[in-house]
Amino acid sequence: MGKFKLFWKNNGIGYLFLTPWIIGILTLTAIPMGASLYFSFTSYDMFNAPTWIGLENYEALFSDPKWLQSVKVTFIYVLIGVPLQLAFALFIAVLLNKGIGGLRIYRAVYYVPSLFGGSVAIAILWRQIFGGNGLVNNILDKFGLGGINWISTPDTALYTLIILMVWQFGASMVIFLAGLKQVPIELYESAKIDGAGPLKQFFMITLPLITPVVFFNLVMGIIGAFQAFTPAYIVSGGTGGPLNSTLFYTLYLYQKGFTQFAMGYASAMAWILLIVIALATAIVFATSKKWVYYQG
Amino acid sequence: MKKSLWLFIMITFTFLLLLGCSSNNEEADKGESDDDSTKSGEQIEISFSWWGDTGRHEKYNEIIDLFEEAYPNIKVDRQFGGWEDYWDRLTTQVSGGNAPDVVSMHQFYVSDYARRGALHVLNDKVENGELDLSDFPEAALDSGKVGEDIVMVAKGITMPGFVYNTAVFDDLGIDYPESDWTWDDFVDKAYEIKEAMGGDGWAVEDGSGGQLQPLFRYFARQSGQDLFTEDGKLGFDEQVLTDWWTMWDQMRQDGVIPDAATSNEYEGLPLEANMFATKKVALLGLPANQMYLYEEQMAEGEINIVRHPHIEGGPNGEYIEGAYLSITEDSPHKDAAAKFIEFFVSNDEAIKIFKTEQGPPAGTKASNLVLEELTLPEQRAVEYIQTTVELAEPAAYAPEGVNQVETLFSDNAEAIAFGQKSVEQAVADFLNEARSILEQ
Repeated sequence: MGKFKLFWKNNGIGYLFLTPWIIGILTLTAIPMGASLYFSFTSYDMFNAPTWIGLENYEALFSDPKWLQSVKVTFIYVLIGVPLQLAFALFIAVLLNKGIGGLRIYRAVYYVPSLFGGSVAIAILWRQIFGGNGLVNNILDKFGLGGINWISTPDTALYTLIILMVWQFGASMVIFLAGLKQVPIELYESAKIDGAGPLKQFFMITLPLITPVVFFNLVMGIIGAFQAFTPAYIVSGGTGGPLNSTLFYTLYLYQKGFTQFAMGYASAMAWILLIVIALATAIVFATSKKWVYYQG
Repeated sequence: MKKSLWLFIMITFTFLLLLGCSSNNEEADKGESDDDSTKSGEQIEISFSWWGDTGRHEKYNEIIDLFEEAYPNIKVDRQFGGWEDYWDRLTTQVSGGNAPDVVSMHQFYVSDYARRGALHVLNDKVENGELDLSDFPEAALDSGKVGEDIVMVAKGITMPGFVYNTAVFDDLGIDYPESDWTWDDFVDKAYEIKEAMGGDGWAVEDGSGGQLQPLFRYFARQSGQDLFTEDGKLGFDEQVLTDWWTMWDQMRQDGVIPDAATSNEYEGLPLEANMFATKKVALLGLPANQMYLYEEQMAEGEINIVRHPHIEGGPNGEYIEGAYLSITEDSPHKDAAAKFIEFFVSNDEAIKIFKTEQGPPAGTKASNLVLEELTLPEQRAVEYIQTTVELAEPAAYAPEGVNQVETLFSDNAEAIAFGQKSVEQAVADFLNEARSILEQ
């Protein structure tokens, strides 16, 4: 009792202040997660009580061709999209860091696409650009090249979504820009005296010094890309089409849970996704010792 | 320290206040769930959701305004959206326990909800006259039953067919299709249209996949089969599906219908941008009640309708379709909801606004009332519906899992269209998986 009183005296107010957050994390995160873990071992259609079926959902996943397709689509999206987006964000950040006038305006303008996220306007815009009579094909026409309907052709549809992701590079660009500002200017001055050109400066000074920022952006990018939902949902109208070529993992999860009433199956999918994201992040962390350089 | 304590108390108070407010509302809701809520002067709110386009939203809002005038103590919260979104949202709402009190229903999806106990069984209310449907013909009432349970009430009854624009056909110099044509005639007509159109378009949209009904269902029924059997198994065999997909695949390869990428591009576009309205195709499968929308949109020509093609010597494909209203099982205001449905399907003023929005009203008095109010294309639609409804024969309700089977159907049809699977392969894959979904 005495111990508790002492503890309360020292920490009580702190915990009281934490209560809103604790209530939030319990009711909005912890309890739903626990429930979904339980549902993943059940057959549950959301109307009737779940019935325990053990590992059946997990076993069924690996023989579901549509699930395998969604895994493939998501991995392509992550493995190609994330590095491309980071490279592009870094490229623009380096350009903006050259000390041009009106930096704030440029920074804001380039950030805008990230704010659009998954709005319906973007879906329409993308269909306008990559559709059969879209902007891209109009330009190709000028060069005498016949274009295809990029969004409606299974081989190219996913890549239009990767371009959409690269286009929304603003968030990582802003972080890169902040990182670039931290690189000591005298390093460049001495490099110049030693006769290093801009490319050499970039690879020998800039890149090593901002690896912590690259690391951060990479981890966030991977986590975000695995969970991507809205781009495919709105551009394909919720189907993941054409021919399931844009069937993101989360989109299939949504279809299973909310249009086919297979909430147990969808929960199992969600847990696999959580494990895969955790593994991918762990791998990046494990390799980080080799390539991330922390100053001082 | 003291300051922070004050701050904390303030924050906690605000928080509790918010919590308090929300739980108060819930209690109030529950308090009103007494059965006599419609008679007492107490204010209650029910919600009603439907699918449709802007024109329909305006009409339904008008009807609801009338209802609120007639029942000043009932307020109706309105929720609406397009067809696809409607069903996605309804699933989420029903499973989350916050479904609207009155929901729009459709035969194809009703069993998914009814068999899971999400819809209120209306037999008692209909028998004791609380929900007065005495004016409904037996067939219309029966079409809202799953088993012996009345789970939905028809807003309007409709029949689908193929529509064409007379001006488009005249321009092309082609004879109009005949109402008693066969699928062979249909294919011949399609080739004829394509030849006349040249590079400007195609005969008809790709009807091989997408939804299981009406097109493929008619074809299966005309072959003496159906989508599903009474006990919820798959109702058609390999041959029927092979014939169906082969017919469309041949037309696709000959360029009579659009290629897969083009079809995909036009998927889900609003009426004014779709292939028929923009004259990219000359024929369109459509529920008759929507004919007037195209006549308004296309400015020239008349929109006429013919029956779906049939199979020489085979049975009729026709079955009753329509749009319905249901009360959800979780609704706390079932009596008010019943009043609303009764008003919607039988009040004279409401009927005059509704006209044939989702097909002519099911009630005898109501359908006679609207006849006087109709424009020409609406009259054509009603005539068509009244003649073809005579040909309708009962159709088995879809079993649970129909959503999955439909996705499978449209996936495999798409795989053929993109040349990823042969017809034989797609048929085998479909039957295999569909049977395992329906546990056969």
